[in-house]
Amino acid sequence: MTTKTGKMGATSPRAPRKSAGTVKWARRLEVGREVLRNPLTVIGLSIIFLFLLMAIFAPLLAEPNQPDPYQSPRDWSNIDSPPGIAGHVLGTDSTGGDVLYGIIWGSRLSLQLSVTVVLFTLVFGTIVGSIAAMKGGRIDNLLMRIVDVFLSIPELIFALAIAAVLGPAFSNIILALAAVFWVKYARIIRGEIIKVKQAEYVAAAKVVGDSSWNIYRKDVLPNAATPLIVQATLDMGNVVLIGATLSFIGLAQAGLTEWGALVSAGQSGLLAGEWWVSTFAGLAIVLWALAFNLVGDGLRDVLDPKTEGR
Amino acid sequence: MSQDWLLKVEDLSVRFQSRGGDAHAVEGVNFEIQPGETLALVGETGCGKSVTARSILRLVPEPPGKYVAGSIKLNVRGKGVVDILSATTKEVMAIRGERISMIFQDPGKALNPALTVGSQLAEVFGQHRLEMILAAAGIDPSKASRAEKRIAKQRASFVQTRIFALTRKKKAETLQKAIDNAVARSLADTGIPNPKKIMKSYPHELSGGMKQRVMIAQALACDPDLLIADEPTTALDVTIQARILELIQDMQKRRGMAVLYITHDLSIVREFADNIAVMYAGHIVETGPAKEVLANPQHPYTSGLLGAIPHRRTPRGELAAIPGSVPQLINPPTQCHFASRCPWAASACKTMAPALHTIQENRKVACFRFDSAEDLLIENAGMPTPAKLAGGN
Amino acid sequence: MNVSTGSNSGHILNTDAVVTLNDVKVHYPVKEGALQRVTGHVKAVDGVDLSIARGKTLGLVGESGCGKTTLGRVIAALVAPTGGDIWMDLSAQQQLDVNRLRDLSESEMSTTDRDLWKQLTLNNRLGSMSKEKQRQFRRNCQVVFQDAFSSLNPRQLVRDIVGRPLRVHEQLSGEELDRRVIELLEKVGLGAEHLLRFPHQFSGGQRQRISIARALALNPEFVILDEPTSALDVSVQAQILNLLVELQAEMGLTYLFITHDLGVVQHMADDIAVMYLGQIVEYGPTDQVFDNPLHPYSRVLRDSNPTLEGERNRDWELSGTVPNPIDPPHGCRLHPRCPVAAAACGWSVSDALSRTEENSPVLFETIKTIERVDDFNAQVAFDNEDGARAFVDQLTNSSMNNAMPIPPTVSGSSVTLAFNEVKDASLEQIQKDRWSSCIRSQENGLLPELVKTPQVNEKEGQ
Repeated sequence: MTTKTGKMGATSPRAPRKSAGTVKWARRLEVGREVLRNPLTVIGLSIIFLFLLMAIFAPLLAEPNQPDPYQSPRDWSNIDSPPGIAGHVLGTDSTGGDVLYGIIWGSRLSLQLSVTVVLFTLVFGTIVGSIAAMKGGRIDNLLMRIVDVFLSIPELIFALAIAAVLGPAFSNIILALAAVFWVKYARIIRGEIIKVKQAEYVAAAKVVGDSSWNIYRKDVLPNAATPLIVQATLDMGNVVLIGATLSFIGLAQAGLTEWGALVSAGQSGLLAGEWWVSTFAGLAIVLWALAFNLVGDGLRDVLDPKTEGR
Repeated sequence: MSQDWLLKVEDLSVRFQSRGGDAHAVEGVNFEIQPGETLALVGETGCGKSVTARSILRLVPEPPGKYVAGSIKLNVRGKGVVDILSATTKEVMAIRGERISMIFQDPGKALNPALTVGSQLAEVFGQHRLEMILAAAGIDPSKASRAEKRIAKQRASFVQTRIFALTRKKKAETLQKAIDNAVARSLADTGIPNPKKIMKSYPHELSGGMKQRVMIAQALACDPDLLIADEPTTALDVTIQARILELIQDMQKRRGMAVLYITHDLSIVREFADNIAVMYAGHIVETGPAKEVLANPQHPYTSGLLGAIPHRRTPRGELAAIPGSVPQLINPPTQCHFASRCPWAASACKTMAPALHTIQENRKVACFRFDSAEDLLIENAGMPTPAKLAGGN
Repeated sequence: MNVSTGSNSGHILNTDAVVTLNDVKVHYPVKEGALQRVTGHVKAVDGVDLSIARGKTLGLVGESGCGKTTLGRVIAALVAPTGGDIWMDLSAQQQLDVNRLRDLSESEMSTTDRDLWKQLTLNNRLGSMSKEKQRQFRRNCQVVFQDAFSSLNPRQLVRDIVGRPLRVHEQLSGEELDRRVIELLEKVGLGAEHLLRFPHQFSGGQRQRISIARALALNPEFVILDEPTSALDVSVQAQILNLLVELQAEMGLTYLFITHDLGVVQHMADDIAVMYLGQIVEYGPTDQVFDNPLHPYSRVLRDSNPTLEGERNRDWELSGTVPNPIDPPHGCRLHPRCPVAAAACGWSVSDALSRTEENSPVLFETIKTIERVDDFNAQVAFDNEDGARAFVDQLTNSSMNNAMPIPPTVSGSSVTLAFNEVKDASLEQIQKDRWSSCIRSQENGLLPELVKTPQVNEKEGQ
């Protein structure tokens, strides 16, 4: 049946084909299954899922306070009370604010913070990095020098400076973090694109005669994006960590149900033995960051080009 | 069978754990290497030749690999026979580099880019030829101090070396000179011009052919009995390839060394090897003197391989292409692994695995056509006799 | 045939040429220092004249660093040449015309010639053709790359990879696209069941088939094959080579087959061009070049190749290593390594110095200063008179001696060197269909004999 050229002859059947979409989804499912093989990743995903539920169903879990749900309802008769007293499952802080309430509504803020910052930095960083890498030459030099300037300043200090200048407000924290974090993505995507550009399939696409935009869209970006995804996942955790630090220092509005602010509020009580405020809030921060780090690592292991696609 | 073989591989089986099962990379491999002989282990990708070579020095990572069965016996002069697979780590380390040495395909990857060529070679000498270096420097090896030994081994710290150089200047100089001379001599031995200059160079400053010479110098520093060359010239240009192979041949003659070539290039084999063993899907399928096997192949795979090599004489489009592809090695069925691609496969070939039969004094083939080795006139169910096969080439 | 005169003889065929290269150069600038000043150029391709005959297979061979891959990319319009012209589809007559007119300026041409030149540049020259014609060229010239794994986008389905040219140029999609892609897959020995798979699900040989299918999608005339089988096993290579031959006959293709494997090129190529250090050193029908090489490099290549029959002749060998492409040797580029190099082959000051560095490194260390007037004249100062005299002795005892009009003069401890200026070697026609750039072959009409006495270039390691 086989000839000298290894052809299979005209008897090859036209197999009933599944659609291209099905095949692509099948592959994604396979990758997903691979990710779930790692127990640590599953733990991370579960924690994230729980936080997500907490954030979405916050109004159901804890009656939103009026007028601003992000201010804890003050129970002046039970300030600084330990967990379990008078219906305060996790205790109250020095102004009578319920700790559990703070954590539940704080999760909303954390979600807001991380999604907004990561989305913005991902998109903006990718655009800048892509332009630099695709155009090359002087534009590349210029953009990368700007990136270098940004990168030479430690993230925390930079965010601090911006937030301090803009004034204490949660939205300013978001702005500060976005302004600082985007350069990372620009650097990453630029490096990846330069590597991918050298691949022969990019040259092949040029020979086919496709436009630069199409080549970028179909060949360059999909293959350069992997480290971005990993970094974005990790940053979902890191952003909250740094954001919490900023509000800990006092750059958020007073009394905000933000986890970092809660830790700060409970700080003075620690020496007096009132551990519950800082501890529970701190735990929330740690769990959040840990979960995303686990998932990010798990993703990195799976999406590593050495293991991907044999 | 006399005991004057140098290396004897018996029933070697190596498997790799993978998600679908165990991959039988090497199955029941047997061969011998005599002192001073050049054996070529030939086959295409995935046939198991590299795994076999690495097993000889126990370099196969375990996991995912495992030595399932067999032995690799080395006849160490003055010490008797050692089975490398069951020896202690210390014994194996004593063999590596000293009795058996190896050079690899990509010399760029085998050399440390952060060290000069000279210091890398000095390390080898220091590790394996300590006495020679010390003696050349006029130091009695049995009375040498720890500091002297460490300096000779290139393991002394910067401070230690400086102090030694200051306090015992003359000795330090002679010691350094002994090391340098040993290195320069070994480099010059491989035909490198201007060894002193090359010693101070870093690997990235050298050409491919030069790097390969350095690797050969490194491998031969201890005068091993056996040199394993794993595709040593695949990454080199044709003009340099010839020189490197001639160099190996030359050094072999001078030192009485045996060489095991791992390669897929049959034309190299013909010129540089005494004997050849052809591997397919983890098994050896044919052995014999190189020139004879290549002129008159007996196994269908070997003849298919030879027919696939492009020549000017073969009319275009008529290269003998072996149909199909290599079967997968995971949990393979018990049969001749070549049966699905063999033009003369019969029912017996798909149910039983042929062993290596001796068909002539030094020629073996693993094929059922030679089942009754003594009687080459028997035709098995339509399979052509060896004579017919050779004629059709 | 007539041996062309003039310094730029050009490479002309007496049949239609799919592509004609005139003095094509690709020089990459080398930037050094904080201010990134250009200190030199890597001359990857340095003055190539080549014509590729329609309907046949031209083999382009050479070792690593010779520039053959870069040349392939220039022809495929992936890399822009820094000098020279590329012409498409010139008939035999048009090749003669282009060759005649290429060195003339506008004022030197007659009116008819000027019109002719205008016509040719508008219709046939890459860079001055209309956009439409450029696009057409794109469709007509396709490439199959070496590494089948990296030349296929790992995230695209086979259907999208092979169907891409059809999408881009013919705006096909949906069922029509699928149908055409299946046709192509079957042509190269795959089938409909492979349509919706990813590259990593295939073997090396199959991936190369996918690559070929993509190249054939637009029914090109000309396919550049850049080491298409170098990464494949011998048995798979045989299948692919047979397939390529079959497709060539079926579709009337012209192939440029770039490879370093001499066995493959002997089997596949009608004609062969041998490259060394950015230039073509020999061109001719494959069998003739291998039976009777007209350039020492071709001879060495042929002899170095181990064969499965007969004994190999080990006499012809190159010494030293490939020189730096930033500063290639003068005259014939092979002369510092050539076993039959003579006085007129292009000796220069650099050659004398590197010869000394290799043969007598101790003497080389005693050089104090080197003052160069140009590449052929210099003054070399040594630490002492003995060094200077030893240096002169070495020179006069080699065949470099006859390359100097007057012997080197010694004054105290410094030596004045003066070499004959030799212009760079170029490809010239020596016999019918045979071209070589060896200066000695050009003089005598055949390859010089190897004289087995100690030459300038003694056998050394590399």
